[in-house]
Formats: sequence, structure tokens, C-alpha cells
Amino acid sequence: MNRVARFAHGSRVPGWDQAADLDKDPSGVPDPALVEVPPQLRAEIEAAMARYPERRSAALPALAAAQRVHGWCSPEAIEQVACVMRLTPAYLSSVATFYDMFELEPVGRHSVYVCTNISCSLRGADGLYAQIAEAAAGDPEINLRSFECLGACDIAPMVSVDHVYYGPLGPGDAQRLVEDLQAGRDPIPELALALRRSADPNANGA
Amino acid sequence: MSQTILLADIDEPGLATLEVYERRGGYQSMRKALAMEPAAVIAELDASGLRGRGGAGFPAGRKAAFLPKGDLDKYLVCNADESEPGTFKDRELMQKNPHMLIEGIVIAAHAAGASRAFIYVRGEYEAQARILDSALAEALDAGYIGERILGGEFSCSVVLHRGAGAYICGEETGLLDSLEGKRGNPRLKPPFPAVQGLYQGPTLINNVETLSTMPYIIRIGGAEYAKLGVANGAGTKVVSVSGHVQRPGNYEVELGTPSREIIFGLAGGPPEGRRVKLWFPGGSSSPVLTEADLDIPYDFDSLAKAGTMLGSGAIIVVDDSTPVLDVALKLAKFYRHESCGKCTPCREGTSWTVRMLERIASGEATPMDLDIMASVQEHIIGNCLCVLGDAMAMPIGSMIVKFREELESHMEYQQLAGAA
Amino acid sequence: MPRPTPTTITLSIDGREIQAPENAMLADAAKLADVEIPVFCYEPKLGQPVGACRMCLVEIEGIPKLQTACSTAVKDGMIVHTQSERARVAQRAIVEFLLINHPLDCPVCDKGGECPLQDITFGWGAGDSRFIEPKRHFRKPLELSPLIAIDRERCILCYRCVRFAQEISEDYQLILLERGEHSFVGTFDGHPYVAPFSGNIIELCPVGALTSRPYRFRARPWEIEGAGTLCTLCPAQCNVTLTVRDERVLRVLARQHDEVDDGWLCDKGRFAYQAVHVDERITAPMIRDGGELREVGWERALAEASAGLRRAGARTAALAGGGASNEEGLLLGRLLREGLGSPHLDSRPGGAVSLDEWRALSAPALAATVSDLEFAHAVLVLDCEPVDDAPILELRIRKGVRRRHVQLAVATDRPSALDPSARTLRFAPGRGAELAAALAAALRGGDVDALAAAAGSGADAVRALAGVLREAGDEVVILYGERLLDGGAAGLLALADALGLAGHPGAGLIGIPDAANGRGLRESGVLPNAGPGLGDPALDGGRDTTAIAAGLGSGELTAVYLLGVDPLRDLPDRAAWAEALEHASTVIVHAGFLTDAVREHATVVFPAEAAAEKEGTVTHPDGRVQRLRPAIARQGAVRAEWSILAELAARLGTDLGVRSGAMVSAALFDAVPFYAGLTLEELGGHGVRWPTREQAATLPSPSDAAAAPRAPRPAPAARGGALAFGSYRSIWAGPEVAASPALAFLHPEQRVELSALDARRLGLEDGVEMLVSDETGAQIHARIAPRDAVPPGSAFLQRGIAADSANVLIGSTIEILPIPEPVEPAAEADPDGGPVEEALV
Repeated sequence: MNRVARFAHGSRVPGWDQAADLDKDPSGVPDPALVEVPPQLRAEIEAAMARYPERRSAALPALAAAQRVHGWCSPEAIEQVACVMRLTPAYLSSVATFYDMFELEPVGRHSVYVCTNISCSLRGADGLYAQIAEAAAGDPEINLRSFECLGACDIAPMVSVDHVYYGPLGPGDAQRLVEDLQAGRDPIPELALALRRSADPNANGA
Repeated sequence: MSQTILLADIDEPGLATLEVYERRGGYQSMRKALAMEPAAVIAELDASGLRGRGGAGFPAGRKAAFLPKGDLDKYLVCNADESEPGTFKDRELMQKNPHMLIEGIVIAAHAAGASRAFIYVRGEYEAQARILDSALAEALDAGYIGERILGGEFSCSVVLHRGAGAYICGEETGLLDSLEGKRGNPRLKPPFPAVQGLYQGPTLINNVETLSTMPYIIRIGGAEYAKLGVANGAGTKVVSVSGHVQRPGNYEVELGTPSREIIFGLAGGPPEGRRVKLWFPGGSSSPVLTEADLDIPYDFDSLAKAGTMLGSGAIIVVDDSTPVLDVALKLAKFYRHESCGKCTPCREGTSWTVRMLERIASGEATPMDLDIMASVQEHIIGNCLCVLGDAMAMPIGSMIVKFREELESHMEYQQLAGAA
Repeated sequence: MPRPTPTTITLSIDGREIQAPENAMLADAAKLADVEIPVFCYEPKLGQPVGACRMCLVEIEGIPKLQTACSTAVKDGMIVHTQSERARVAQRAIVEFLLINHPLDCPVCDKGGECPLQDITFGWGAGDSRFIEPKRHFRKPLELSPLIAIDRERCILCYRCVRFAQEISEDYQLILLERGEHSFVGTFDGHPYVAPFSGNIIELCPVGALTSRPYRFRARPWEIEGAGTLCTLCPAQCNVTLTVRDERVLRVLARQHDEVDDGWLCDKGRFAYQAVHVDERITAPMIRDGGELREVGWERALAEASAGLRRAGARTAALAGGGASNEEGLLLGRLLREGLGSPHLDSRPGGAVSLDEWRALSAPALAATVSDLEFAHAVLVLDCEPVDDAPILELRIRKGVRRRHVQLAVATDRPSALDPSARTLRFAPGRGAELAAALAAALRGGDVDALAAAAGSGADAVRALAGVLREAGDEVVILYGERLLDGGAAGLLALADALGLAGHPGAGLIGIPDAANGRGLRESGVLPNAGPGLGDPALDGGRDTTAIAAGLGSGELTAVYLLGVDPLRDLPDRAAWAEALEHASTVIVHAGFLTDAVREHATVVFPAEAAAEKEGTVTHPDGRVQRLRPAIARQGAVRAEWSILAELAARLGTDLGVRSGAMVSAALFDAVPFYAGLTLEELGGHGVRWPTREQAATLPSPSDAAAAPRAPRPAPAARGGALAFGSYRSIWAGPEVAASPALAFLHPEQRVELSALDARRLGLEDGVEMLVSDETGAQIHARIAPRDAVPPGSAFLQRGIAADSANVLIGSTIEILPIPEPVEPAAEADPDGGPVEEALV
């Protein structure tokens, strides 16, 4: 359910077993003379820095921008952000690994987050996750992740596909979702949250 | 439920655009507020009795009044990191009526003397963030935010900041660290954000719903607003109802409405043939209530009296088809995943609790483990840096107390099954 | 900035009434009541408390929740219970939580016996645990760097180490990765944590998670003893405690002195102790015999040395440097002046500074202290790089900027590590003197344009920086490097005068000398133009370092006494010194290692003491006389160096009247008027700053004739494609670093730093080795290192390194050329091959 496998007896947390590679140089703030940054990314990061009184505030938007360019927060992506922001790559790694939405390994280009928190799981989210996993098995383009509450318990069980919310998913929707994605269509369009009206009978002047 | 303020005509086509919002009288409250002295705006908020809608329920007027006066760089931060399981009211408000929030932000910024405002929206709400992006652009073009608003003296920039997936950033100081580009670890308090918040400056932090309510309060006056709801719990509240109910969704009710009416009357109650086993009145962090508590009026004080809290105003209903252990385990795993790791009791306590629950689930536990687990929850409560640890320990603790029998019979069953 | 002057309040802790400074943290105030409140994450040196570990929960009357004592400021009338039932329950609970994921492998843990987690578990824990789940197990220990091992199982996530990297050294290389219970300490993408101050995290770690690789498993706490002394590897003279076992130094720990080091050490100071015990160290006297150095007995060496000195007589010169003590400086001066009648001694690498300038620069009214760097309104770093020249001062400057908003100005030729925190002004390589004069002119009138041009800076930038210094407030501290005094003393004094620093508490100058005890050597009389106490010298006509080299080269001088100096490595113009030493008939050195001059030119070698073996005093750049105390017996045949000097003087017929280390110190205090009356007892473990003593008035005043700043040198003539070059000495340059196995990986190779623009223009690629040649044709090899911050037209090279040191170059501009293809072994042209090889060097 999480990026990092839960440990039980004998299992491992990635990174905990990693020693430093003593053949590498220490990693300070990258020297702009030595790092190439795609101009578009540089411009986006610089614009983000300009929005805040302190440039460091742009760390999340800058990492998000780099992730869009590189597909994940690769060491190279982080170094580029560090170079533009004049921070160390280590600092940015520390930030990136704190947040669930930064990918620390290469992933498929479609993000499919299934909310498996309490309200959704009461309405079958765990089964939904399994169905999508089965339907998408072996498709490297689909980055299926089980996510904590996505704030859409009204459409439980639900998914966020490339950051668009859909729900409630019923029988067969998991299969259709994967097929739509694989066919390059908008997935399960009629289940989009954007189409949903308020549940409150008094909300619309009743 | 007689009054609908926040959800009024929420599905009107184009409400998210400036044109429709203005046609409906939008930004008039802001004009009114900007013509008032900040202290007068605070007085109205005070008089309204509005309490924060994010979870802590702190009086909104008093919070704004805490900021030091004078020529300092002050900040307003809108907490739109709605992450409390079961809560989705801010999402609907931002998505469907973003200008109401922006108007509230300018009113609050004026009251607090803040010249920079930030909306911290959780990264998962990308669709809502895009809607806010366009609304902010419209508002900027119209001169409602930015330099010299309405041509007057007051200036306030509003920047939308997207989070990246961390529940703890809903905690106000964790949010501030995150907004400063750091890991979203909560800070030690004091100093409180009103004194030393964003970039070390005095900072007012309010929830989306709280801010979205402000235009209405300014429009009708604080005293008038205070007539809604109950004593020490004025106004209406958008309640997110989810879980085992027939019509999950956001419902705006006056505070003090009987809980039964919300769960059954509005949300339709559990599916046919099922009964309410337990319910969370204020998000997953609130101690659980049972069927016997359904008639408690839904307001701050009544829920507190029942040993729980209104929290973010999210009711999660669990019916009798679901073992309490499943709920506890789901919950504990969530808090373990979301614990930032900064302080010991939360980091270690959430993990220990999960492992004990897993042992119960697999039938390797004894009733003594329930005592240990209960004691671990007690050791977490009140000893952590922020409230996340308590947010797990309180509901888990309440489940051990209220459903001990079920948990013990589960153990017994598992052991018998194992023996067989 | 006025320093806080706390008022005292009264509070009660566990029933004891105590007085404590208002706003002190409760965890600190409790110590005044002899009450210990357990802490893990709290470490006042790291700045604001974070309240993360929750170990220090206590009950305060009137506050419903338990409070963390580390973050609660004491208030008058506060009533605190640290041992009430509620507090005890919480404390036991935290210990239980902390031990959940701690392996309890104390028997095999290097921290065992000196571990706060052990102590606190024993003192505040329940003694048992209800945790029966399996513990986590991971590979361990792992390398975090060549110096530090990390054991992540043991880590209790107190964040001290990562806070150090963020708040103190500000290198931001050591970080916390992941979240919650998965959090772990690490680095970016597996890079090692290598930084000048990395070792401090070992000392900060309250468990056995971060351990010193060189120290691991060398000793148990009950087998060692701690010995307080000083580190004399650089002018910062940090106070240290040496961990000694069986007469071997096994570890160096900080011995906190707020006025010197603030409780931190650099990695050189922390790990170069290894050089004390390596085989390469010289531990017996040697003489040159048939062209080769060979070990001899003391009598033979002393006889050889005294004979050589007697032959040379007044044609002897002496240089002192390195960690030579004040006492040794004093005796060296007497040996030369009284024993040999020679006035030629110096302790400075460059040209002479006039005696008046020395006196003016040393004036108590202009003396700033280390802590002034933290509390000043503004600090100007002028022509030095603190992290290389006196590393620990960099941390103090960072602290001032971070915590007290000190305005930092950096005026240097080479980009500084402090640039990101500073207002920066660059000048052309080696033009510090002109820049100082330009700043002075901008403040009090003068031809700023001409001076700025000569400095290679923009006049507007100079004026702007002057404006910052003027506006910052009264308390301005100027931290300058010794090389500024190569012609810059007058400009510096003019700048101090223009800023009105004299007599202003909290303001003034701190000069970082080139040698670790440069100030002490000066004050004990190792100058060509001054006797002890900067008094008039007993003999006139002394030659400075440059003139000594010339004199040796020309044969006017025939012997040279080198006390802790290797001219080929430490002094400018290596070729001139090679020639000088080649010509000298007697070259007596005190040395710890066979560096070039020793190996190639010494006729007599006396083994130098390590700081750990030495007794005596040194003087900190801020005037603090500090005491060196022997921690171990001298290794091998090493003898006290002062006694060698005294013995040689005696053999030359001058009894210096000293029979013990204490007697030499007494002689020093007698000889230097402003040290008069000091005793070793008074110096104790913390030293005494002489500028604050009454006797400071005995420092002779400079003559009234204010020296006019030297006329600016003309801008260097441009050569087509050539770059103006400057040099610097890295923190890691030095024989002790090279000789310490743990640090050897840091010993630098030559590289040429130049701007990315120039690198592109000249087609030079990062990391490629090239030939660097100055306008005189002197050449070294260096790797290309493009740096964004280097101003176009400039380049920087390292000096003080073993091979290809920048002191080979004597011009002011360089060209960078491809290395010629190696010449085929020219067997027929040069049968013995030797000269060809030499020519290539």
C-alpha cells in the first residue's frame, strides 16, 4: 500500500542497508558550470522561486516540475533542481522522500492512485485495488499505487487517474479503466468527479 | 439544516467563474470589509462566534486578533491540505466556489494585516488547484487581489502552493515547514504561528471552510450569524458523511442538528438490514461513538461531552458487517504511514500498535496484549510533539474500551481456529 | 549588537529553590539545582530546541500537559517536578518507545560505557520492556564516509547529526530520508558525507549509530584517559581532549571553549592525531651523511648542529612556523641573537611588515575576540578563506549570520564558501592590499576609482560595500588573512580607522596568521625587526624571509635554522628556496615528516614534538595565550624542542638559564612585557587574553607618523589568453593530513579553478590534467576545475601541497597548455636519464 514495503520480521526498508559509495565525491551544491539543465525546466523553477519571499519555498513545485520532465525524481532530476535552486541535492532528496507523490524510482507514465483508506475500504476499495492490479498486470505504463485518503469518500471506492478523480467504481469498472488507458482514451469518463452534483438536498435551492 | 450558506446553489453552472460569482453578489463583502478598519472586521468575526472548521475549532476572530499589530511582514495561510480520512468538504467548496474562498482570504488578510497569502492545497487535489489557479488569475485581473486592491491602500498577493502527499502537512506548523520548502515536520509550539509562523513572521492560518464562511459573516454581520447554530458553536457546518451510508456526500447543517438526522435523515443510514456499529463524528482522529450515541447533537460541546470531538466535521459510519479490528488496523496503519517520524511516541507508538493489532489479527495475541495496547495509547496521548500521535491513540483507545469484548472473542476464535 | 544580559529569576525544581538566568531552558537551569533532566535531541550548541525525542517531559504546576524541559524557558516562580509520578511514567514510556527499535547490542557497541542511551535507560527507564515483536535488523555497520560508520539499527532519530549539517556547518549533505518510522540518516544518492566538519556528528550522536572508523574498537571507555590540550594544526587553536590509551592518542574530542571553538572541531583537528603514531614520523635525530639522511644519537646530532651554527655564526638565519610554541620562539630568538649574534629571523612567509604596523595591528584597542564574530553588527572577511585558514572560525561566522543576523561581507579574490551568506566583493588575485585601501578611501575620502581599479574591483561595488559596513552599526569585526599584510597593513589600519573600530568593545581586527602560532611567534620575538613583546630588536638589520632566501642563495648567509617550517612547501617561490637551501652549508630543521626540504636539504634533523607531546604556550589570533599540556610521553627518541634550542645555545656558549618547560614559560612571561605576571596555573584550561590585561599597556605604541598606504601596484599586464592567478592553501594541505591514514584521501592534488567562461573559451574540460605555466616559464601540472563563481580572467591554484604546489609559480599570470607527449626515453641523448626526469618536474 505504500511506496516502501512494510517491514515485518526479516524484511527491509530500502535505503537502510545502503552504505555510501566511497568512490563518489561528496555532493555539495552543484556548480552551474558542470550541470546542464533543460531550459524549460530552469525557467519553470526560476518562476516558482520568484513566487515566494524565500526561494527554498519552491522546493515542492520545482521537484514536481522535474518529475514531470524526467518521469521521476531521478538523481539527475534532483541535481538539476539543486543547481537552479542553489541547494544541495541531499536537501532536495530529503524533501522528496518525505512526500508520497514524488516517485523515487522510474514508474509508468499513468498514475493510478486507489484510495484504500477507511471510508473507501468500507466500500470495497481493497477489492478494487486488486482488480486494477490484475487488469494492469504487466503494463509498465501504469503506475498503480494504493493511496491514503484522497478526500473523495463521497465517491468511494474511487481512483485518481493522472490526478483526475473517478468514482464510485463498480464491477467491471476496473477492467474498463485499464482498457481505456491502454487505448489512449479518457478513462471511465462518466464516473468523473467533476460531473457529480452535491448530495445535499438543500444545496441547490431545493 | 434550514440555512444553506456554503453549499447554496453550489452546482449553479459557471459558479467557479468570476462572472457568475459576481452576478450572485460576490466580492461585495470584500468591498465592505476593506472599507472597515481591520479591528472592526475582527470584531465582526468575534461576534459571529465562528470556530475554525479545520479540526481544532478555535474561535476564528480571536485567532486573527492574536497577530501582533504594526508594520511587520505578516502572512495569511489558507489550509487546503484536507487530508483527514473521511473529509472532503473543502474539496467541493474549492472546486465549485473558488471565489468565495478567495474573497474570504482577502477579508481575513485585511483583518490580520497580512500582505501575502498562500493557499496550501494538497497535491492530490490537482483538479481543484487548477480551478483555483484560474479563479486567482481572474481575481488578479479584476484587481481583487494583488497590489492596491480595489484601488485602495490594501495589497495582498495570493499564491497557490501545491503539496505533494503528506497528511501531516494538514497540521498547521507542518504545513508551514512544507510551505517553506522543507519536510513537513511539525514545529514545537510555542512559539505559535500567530507570533512566529511562516518565514518567522506572524501568520494567520485558517481552513478553507472557515475562510469561505467569512464573506457571509461580513455580509449579514457577526451578530446575525451567531444566531445560527448553538451556543459556543455558531453557524452551519458542512459535514462530510461517508462509509456505510446510502447517500455519502457533503451536507450543510446548522450546528446542533441531531447526529441521527445527518446520518439517517440526510445520508440515508446504513444499507438495508444493517445497523450502525460505530461512527467517527469528526474524521478518523476522533474517538468513536456507537449506535447508542446517535442522538447526540452535532456540535463542538455536545461531542466533547461525549468524549469525542467534532474535528473536521467528517462522519464515517461503520455498520455491523465490519469487524472493529479491521477498522483499527486500517486506521493504525494509516497513522503509521503518515507519522512524520520527528517525535518518539508517535513514530514508535504507531508502529508498535500496528504490530500488536496484526498479531491480534493473526491470532497470536492474548487479552494481556489489549492491556499493553491500551497502555501504549495512553503513553502516546499528550506526550507527542503534535496531535498526530493522539489522532491514532484516541480512536484506537476508544475502540479497545468500547469493543473489548469483540476483540477478545476474535482472539479466542483465532486461537481456536489455530488449534483446530 | 549588544549581547544579551539575562536577569536572574527564582524557580523551584523538585523542591529546591534555585536562581537561574531568565529564559534559560529548563533542562539547563535544572543543572543548577543538581537535577538532571534526561535529553537526547537537545543540544544547546545546535540552536533552537526541537523537542523531538520527548525524553525530557516534566510536570510544571499550572500547565495541564507535561512539558519538554529542553524547550521551556524558565520563569520566575515556576514550580517544576521532574520526578512526580506523571513525569516518571512519561519518561519510562519514552525510554520504552526508544528501545523498541534499538538493538541493545551494547556488548559489541563502540559507544558502550559512554552512551547517553545506556545511562538514561539505566536512570530513567523501567528496566524491562513489554515489546515482544521482532526487532528490525539491517546490515551494519555501513560506511557513511571514509571517516564515519553508521549503524542505522541503533539510531534513535534524535536529528542531532542532520541538524548539525543544516544549522552549524550548513553543508546540507547529511539528511533524513523517508518519513516516519522509515526515516533514516543518509546522503544524496549514496554520496559519502565528506565535509570539513563532518566528524562532529560522531561526538553529537547520543547512541552508537555514528562512530569514528579510525577509533572503532580501539578502546573501551574504562581503558582510556582524557587529556586536555590544544590542537595546533592551524591558527584556530581549538581546545581538545585527547583520548589516550597506553601512551597513544586514539581520538580527539572537542573541549568546548566558547571563546575559541564553540565546542566544534574540524576533521583535520579531529583525525590528524593519527600522524603522531605513524611509521613515517621522524622520531629520532638524523644527520646527512654521504648525501643520505640517517638516524644518529642525540649527542651526534647536537654536535653536528652546534658545529654548523658555530661555523656560520652571525651568518645564520632562522625561520619558525607550524605549531612552534611561544617558548620555542623565544629561545630561537635568543639562540640567534645572543648565541650567534644574528638578527636574521622571521616567522612570516611574505615580506616585512614595519614594526610600527605590527604594534598598531596588535593594539588592544583594535583587538576583537572570536565571540565578537558572532555578536558583531557586521563582519568583513578580508582576503582570507576561513574554512581553509582557521576552519572553526567559519562556523562562528555562520552562527552569527544565522542566529544573530550579523551582516556578513566577504572581500576576497577567490570565491569563498561563505559567499551564499554574504555580500560579496571580488578583487583581482593577490590585490587585497589595494582593496583594503580602496575601502578605506571609500569611507573617508580618497581616490576610490584608482584604488578600486588597481584592486581589480568596480569602484561602485567598493563604495557599496563600504556603505554596508558604515551603516551596519558600530561593531564591525574585520577578519583578515596574513597575506593581506604583504603591503596591505597600512590600508587595513586605515580601514579600521575609517570605521572607528579602535576602542570599541565588540569591534576590531582578527588577523589569521599563516602559521598556527604565528601571533605567538611574533610576540615572542621571531621577527627580523622586533624582539619579544614587539619591542625594539636587540640587533638591527634583520632580514625577512624573502631576504633570507636571497642571502642564502647569494652566500651572504650560510646556515639556516628551520623550526617547523619547510620552505619548499610553505613559502612562496619554491625555486628560490631550493637554491637557497642548496647553497646553505648547514640546514637544521625541526620536523615531524620528511617533506621536501627536509629530505633534500637538511643537514641535521631534530624530531619535532607532536602537539600531544608538547608543553608550553601558544597565542591565539585574538591574543589569548593558551597552554599546551603533554598528553602522552614523547614517542621514540623525541625530546622537548625547547631543550634542543637551549642545549645548542649552551654549546655555543650561551646559557639560557632554562632547565624545565615551566622555566621556559616563566622566561617567556618575563621577556614579553604584556605577558608579564602570567603563570601556567592562571592559563589553566582556558587561557588568558592578554589584550584585556593591565599589562597590555606595555605594548609599545606605534610612532605617530602614520604610514601612508603603499602606492597601488599597476594592474597586471595582460598576456594574450593568460589568466591572472591567485593561490590558496586548502584545509587539507599539510603533512599531518597526508600522514594520517584516515585523512590521506583528502590530501589535495593540484587543480586549476577557472571560470566556466574561460574554460569554454580555452576549450578546457573538467578534470583533464594540463600544464600550467607562468610568464617566467615555471610550470606545474594541474587538473582543470571549471567553477561558476570564479570571475572570468582569474584562476586559482593550491599551495602547501606536496606535488605541483603553486609556490613553484612566481609570475602573476598563467597559461594553460596541453601536457607535451612524453619524450621517448632519450637513451642516446642522456645516458644516465636523471637530468631529463628532473627537467620534467
